[in-house]
Amino acid sequence: MSSLIVFLVVFPLVVGGLLLGVRNGKLRNVIVVLAGLVVAGASVVTAVTFGNGNAIFFGLPNGLTLGQGLLAAEIAIGLFVVVVSIQHRRILAPILVLSQVAISVYLELSGKMPELDPGRLFWFDRLAMVMVLIIGIVGTLICIHSLGYMRDYHRSSPLIKGRRTVFFCLLFVFLGAMFGLVVSNYLPLMLIFWEMTTLCSFLLIGYTRTKETIGYAFNALNMNMLGGLGFSIAILLLVNGNQSLDLATLTSGPASAALLPALALLCLAGLTKAAQMPFSSWLLGAMYAPSPTSALLHSSTMVKAGVFLLLRLSPAIAGSNLGTLVAFVGMLTFLFVSLVGVTEQNTKKVLAYSTIGSLGLIVGCAGLGSPELIWVGVMIIIFHAVAKGLLFLVVGTIENRLYSKDMENFDTLLSRLPLVSALALTGIAGMFIAPFGVVVAKWTAIRAFLEVPGWQGAALLVIMAFGSSLTIFYWGKLLIKVLSMRSVSEYELSVEKRITRFEWLAEITLAVGVIGVAAFIGVISEQVVGPQALATFKGASQSFLHVEPVMLATMIVAMLFLPLLALWVSRQKHFDMSDFYAAGRPVTSTGVMGAALGGARTVTLRNYYLEGVVNGGLVFRAGTLVCGVLLAALLTVGMVAR
Amino acid sequence: MNLNPVVYGVLFIFLAPVFGGLLAGIDRITSARMQSRVGPPLLQPFYDLGKLLQKDARQVNPIAEPLLIGHLGLMAATGAMLLGGTDLIFVAFVFALAALFLVLAAGSVNSPYSFAGAERELIVVLASEPFFILMLAAICKVTGESSYGGVLGSAVMVAPKLPGVLLAFMFVATIKLRKSPFDISTSHHAHQELVSGLTSDMSGRLLGYVEMAHWYESAILAAFVVLFFNWSVPLGLVAFAIAYGAEVLVDNSTSRAKWQLVLRSTWAVTLLLVGGNVLALFLIK
Amino acid sequence: MSFFSKSPWILHYDASSCNGCDIEVLACLTPLYDVERFGVINTGNPKHADILLITGSVNERNIDIIQNLYGQMPDPKVVVAVGACACSGGIFARAYNIQGGVDKVLPVDVYVPGCAARPESIIDGVVKGIEALEQKRKKIA
Repeated sequence: MSSLIVFLVVFPLVVGGLLLGVRNGKLRNVIVVLAGLVVAGASVVTAVTFGNGNAIFFGLPNGLTLGQGLLAAEIAIGLFVVVVSIQHRRILAPILVLSQVAISVYLELSGKMPELDPGRLFWFDRLAMVMVLIIGIVGTLICIHSLGYMRDYHRSSPLIKGRRTVFFCLLFVFLGAMFGLVVSNYLPLMLIFWEMTTLCSFLLIGYTRTKETIGYAFNALNMNMLGGLGFSIAILLLVNGNQSLDLATLTSGPASAALLPALALLCLAGLTKAAQMPFSSWLLGAMYAPSPTSALLHSSTMVKAGVFLLLRLSPAIAGSNLGTLVAFVGMLTFLFVSLVGVTEQNTKKVLAYSTIGSLGLIVGCAGLGSPELIWVGVMIIIFHAVAKGLLFLVVGTIENRLYSKDMENFDTLLSRLPLVSALALTGIAGMFIAPFGVVVAKWTAIRAFLEVPGWQGAALLVIMAFGSSLTIFYWGKLLIKVLSMRSVSEYELSVEKRITRFEWLAEITLAVGVIGVAAFIGVISEQVVGPQALATFKGASQSFLHVEPVMLATMIVAMLFLPLLALWVSRQKHFDMSDFYAAGRPVTSTGVMGAALGGARTVTLRNYYLEGVVNGGLVFRAGTLVCGVLLAALLTVGMVAR
Repeated sequence: MNLNPVVYGVLFIFLAPVFGGLLAGIDRITSARMQSRVGPPLLQPFYDLGKLLQKDARQVNPIAEPLLIGHLGLMAATGAMLLGGTDLIFVAFVFALAALFLVLAAGSVNSPYSFAGAERELIVVLASEPFFILMLAAICKVTGESSYGGVLGSAVMVAPKLPGVLLAFMFVATIKLRKSPFDISTSHHAHQELVSGLTSDMSGRLLGYVEMAHWYESAILAAFVVLFFNWSVPLGLVAFAIAYGAEVLVDNSTSRAKWQLVLRSTWAVTLLLVGGNVLALFLIK
Repeated sequence: MSFFSKSPWILHYDASSCNGCDIEVLACLTPLYDVERFGVINTGNPKHADILLITGSVNERNIDIIQNLYGQMPDPKVVVAVGACACSGGIFARAYNIQGGVDKVLPVDVYVPGCAARPESIIDGVVKGIEALEQKRKKIA
């Protein structure tokens, strides 16, 4: 088992390094596809090997030891950040990273580091298995997608200097780091992988190297490293307090008061990584990176690392002031970003707001902690990773074809890009129509909130009701745009044919994944997520999925309805379409009408963005302020009393 | 009368349109009388539906009809599941989904009237959805039950414990029943800003589907009112009748309420009345 | 069983009318005449209408509109020309911009004379229109 894990971590790193030297596009395609298959295969083998048992702990194989490896890695990261910051004349980043390095060096030199149990470096349980499968399968599909996507991306933006060697190298390095992160039990080890993902994110956001994107990249770097610094200080506090650095031990039950400060700082790390308010701006800036980055790092995997850590911490913080504060940060983030999402026109940003919102829900569940809520959290992770990953990839494909990210330009998508529409509809349905998608998770969460005592329960219910309705609004708008039709020319229809095989492969596989996960939710719940929830909160065996066959049937029909409709449309050559009503004016089916005093006018239809009712910028700032205050409380009150 | 809940669900599918149609007929007669007119026969809505089904349907695009069938199906399913014993909160989600399909059907047409109608209908969903989720959650909390039959059989009387929610329901129902504001579009009569709004490009049987779905929706709202008066179903139906009468009055007297007002006011009402009521529930236990 | 006679929906279009006939059409909706008793609804939308009630005569500007509206109405449908102008152009028949009555553009089923046509005549015309509607439906069915 430990060899498998080491392979999972090291192999992508090696491939990444190899790709740095490969300039030939065809060779790169071959290497990426093959390596991707190997990684995916290895993830599946790992999952199968683990089987369906309880958690296991292990160390490095064949008597290898970490030695000074961690310190060396830390220093390397520090040097890199310092050099890059000097290049771009930034001051905050080097300060943050050097503080971290200083702490590591101090701990090493002072000899206070506790004796490391070599057999407990890694922790593998069902949650780790879920994460490994997501990283291995969704991750590699995204890498394969990128082969096609980046080719067109650079064709349509000739002014951007292509650095695809670096791009693909980073994708694979990132995969290796993520694997390491989700199986780590020893906190300093996890920290290294944590910071590696931060660096990958930084480099990928700044890919196009324009002044704007470099600014966004540094914003992301600073916020994530702030979290990393918190992580680092947490380790320092634990060492000074003679506590364990073994994550499983720390979180085996409700934390004693002595552990609270360190746990609060670890929560800070999780919250920054998951882009919760007040740290959401980095994720929005990250949307300027190429779409595969958004799919891989900023929806399916890296941000999941943040909520992954919080789910791990849940048993320790549940029931304490810290846990409650964390939960409210998450839920209020969900509410605020859902409200802002309604006012947003850029599709990728809408997807980003939706991501932050979903993560907020998971954070809410982790903070409150109970078997049901852990179930909800892990379910959202699974569904969101697959569906949102698919959506980002599809939006990327559309963006390449239509040269626009503005939602307003997506209209009549069903006529122009019918197959792509079917895929987009699968993704959107997976997000909010699917029975066993985020809907069932929300439903279970509401049921769980009903049981939370006091004003907290009432507040959470109200937040959930409003937030959930807001998400219906923006998904609805997107659906309206996708589902409209008009007659299209031969040329427009041919656009879809130019989408690369890599993109089709990745997107269709993910769409099948969305449907598959929904169809097999019963099995997933009984075999994987349910037992994991019960193991985390040591409860009696019970079924979490209170879904009757009628509900199942209704929702599966509802979920498949739209994509199948789109597929049917794509098969037809011609439709008899009659004119729509335009006050009696003659109008063509492409939307040009005879205007009142002669001449022609094109009908333009624009969604409501509620400008008169909701001021998006104001709401965002309000959310940042409110959650900032909660965070301050978290780092003060949360560290003190239970 | 203790039949298997599934029977009630199936009965709903067949009887709700009859109920909804008769209600629509009473609505029109009452409105007419309020305007010193005689009004149509009671069964007029059924005649209208019959005619629509016999009329040719102009399809502006091929997906409007499937989406409308989906809308009708989901609305019927919502009611059937509601009475049939499905979890109440899940029913709230299906209800929203049914409304969404109508929005999609209207929005798929590129006509300004239809599209604007769809967007405004989406706003109606946005305005009313938090309410329905909270209403059903509150009822579950108060009675400790999670199904329709369970609530009706519970010893706890719902209305006295949820006065805020009941009041808010009156407010929200006005919107769901398409009585006010006047620029949220529906197909009813001549007081629309957007020609026929949502249904501008639906004809023949497509319009028939929308009418039937609306009848199902009325029946579902009646069923919700009965939930509040869970100790006496007849009392619940009487309460619904009174409420509906009030709605008709509102329809005939308010003509200047616009959608921005609707959104803000519904949220304010939901937050204050319902939020307050729910808070009280959680605190006083 | 045909429901058209029980639920005839009207689309009222003012072609170039002085509004005299229009006022009389709307008067039919008032309590005094109340055509809703017969199930008549004045919809503003051709796609919902069975009977196209036109007042006023046809000129260059509204030829397209009239044809478009008629085209948008689903079958079966009838046209009722209300008032002298709609029937034949009325006193404006020789004006430079007037083409003539509605029958220059559409197949008219019922002519309701009058200037302005009285509500009773209009209702009578609508009833005759309903008969014509039933005839057409039988032909289609």
